[in-house]
Amino acid sequence: MDKDGEIVLTDAAKRFGAYTALHPTNLVISRGQAVLLVGANGAGKSTLLRLVAGLSRPSDGEVQINGHDLQDAPEARSAIGLLSHQTLLYDELTARENLRFFAQLYGLHNVQERLDEALAEARLDDRQHHRVSSFSRGMKQRLALARATLHRPSILLLDEPFTGLDTGSATALRQFLHLFRGNGGTCILVTHRLDEADGLVDRLLVLERGHLRLDQALSSDLDQLYAHCAPYLDSAL
Amino acid sequence: MSFIGRALAILRKDLQAEWRTKERLSPMVFFTLLVLLVFNFSFELGGAALREIGPGVLWSSYVFASLLGLGRSFADEHENDALDALLLAPGDHGAIYLGKMVGNLVFLLAIELLSLPFFALFFNLSLGFFLVPLLAVFVLGSACLASVGTLFAAMSNNMRLRELLLPLLLLPMILPALISCVAATKIVLANGHFTELLPHMQMLGVYAVVFTVLSLMLFEYAIEE
Repeated sequence: MDKDGEIVLTDAAKRFGAYTALHPTNLVISRGQAVLLVGANGAGKSTLLRLVAGLSRPSDGEVQINGHDLQDAPEARSAIGLLSHQTLLYDELTARENLRFFAQLYGLHNVQERLDEALAEARLDDRQHHRVSSFSRGMKQRLALARATLHRPSILLLDEPFTGLDTGSATALRQFLHLFRGNGGTCILVTHRLDEADGLVDRLLVLERGHLRLDQALSSDLDQLYAHCAPYLDSAL
Repeated sequence: MSFIGRALAILRKDLQAEWRTKERLSPMVFFTLLVLLVFNFSFELGGAALREIGPGVLWSSYVFASLLGLGRSFADEHENDALDALLLAPGDHGAIYLGKMVGNLVFLLAIELLSLPFFALFFNLSLGFFLVPLLAVFVLGSACLASVGTLFAAMSNNMRLRELLLPLLLLPMILPALISCVAATKIVLANGHFTELLPHMQMLGVYAVVFTVLSLMLFEYAIEE
């Protein structure tokens, strides 16, 4: 069975000392699914995302990406791209130097061609030799997206990716996410603003105080999205 | 990409960023020179007194200057959460440690080489004869500092009182290596015999290798939140 793009959590839990950030959670996200993850601050959204990304070890249970436990198979991390409200970039390096560095870490072939392509897609080819510190928020986020997808991951994790973006940059990001889904990519989107997820997701997960309270398939209708989240809107959103 | 290839990519990135900002080297160099200057005016050294106190002064200034540099070695990664991007990359996280450790070693050697002429000037010392064995002591001593210091810098990076924690962790741990560094430098400046120097060099070599290997094994846990 093809497990490319599949995320499986089996009784995955995360504790920080006596505090349980995520209670044992079972979840299967199949290839091509786009999941919206919502919850109040401290509900465990980022914890879950970090477990899936392999940035954090589960205290109990297991997280598998494409059939591999990331702790045992670190090479499997190459299936994941992470786009967050932070850029994960180096301000003192130029746009091209940033991408070249990550291309080296991922062991990409034909690096120069891939960099040209990624910079053109990010509409930063004319600013590629400028330091990131001189970029606007929108330009940084476009470059961050180029970094996150440079190695063509099959799973994209998005943690508040629209934060601080102007309308044009947000539209471009939405277009990319539609394209990513169209190509069979799996994504998990964390956002506090449901309108940002309208038309992008087909499944809703609601976390409350570390518990997975709702796991619901969705159409692309925003009203339906609100209806499903309504019981949690006061406490979770 | 190979383990060494990833470590080299991280080293190159750190050197490139430092070349532009001089955020680490500048304070380290100024601190070292200031310490040497202060000691120069505090003690009027010469002859035997120089050989007794000079090595201690020199290595104290390097250890405290290293704290400034080590404290910054994960700061760039902290700034835009870039460490997450490093940790997301495939392969053993030990490559991050190795790249950072060699970077710290390069910075330490740079301040040692830059400050050495001033040490000679302030303490009225002719370095020509001592240079080669002194450089060997510097390389091994700096490798000891960088091996332990990089691990503790990674550990303290996520902590609230990291500026306080790093010296509290590093100074007791580096003490055996520091004693050997001072003793070896004292022997070199006293024009001692190679057989006197050898045990200290062996001690420094073993310390650097053991702590580099241990740190490579522990880094995965040190870097975790």
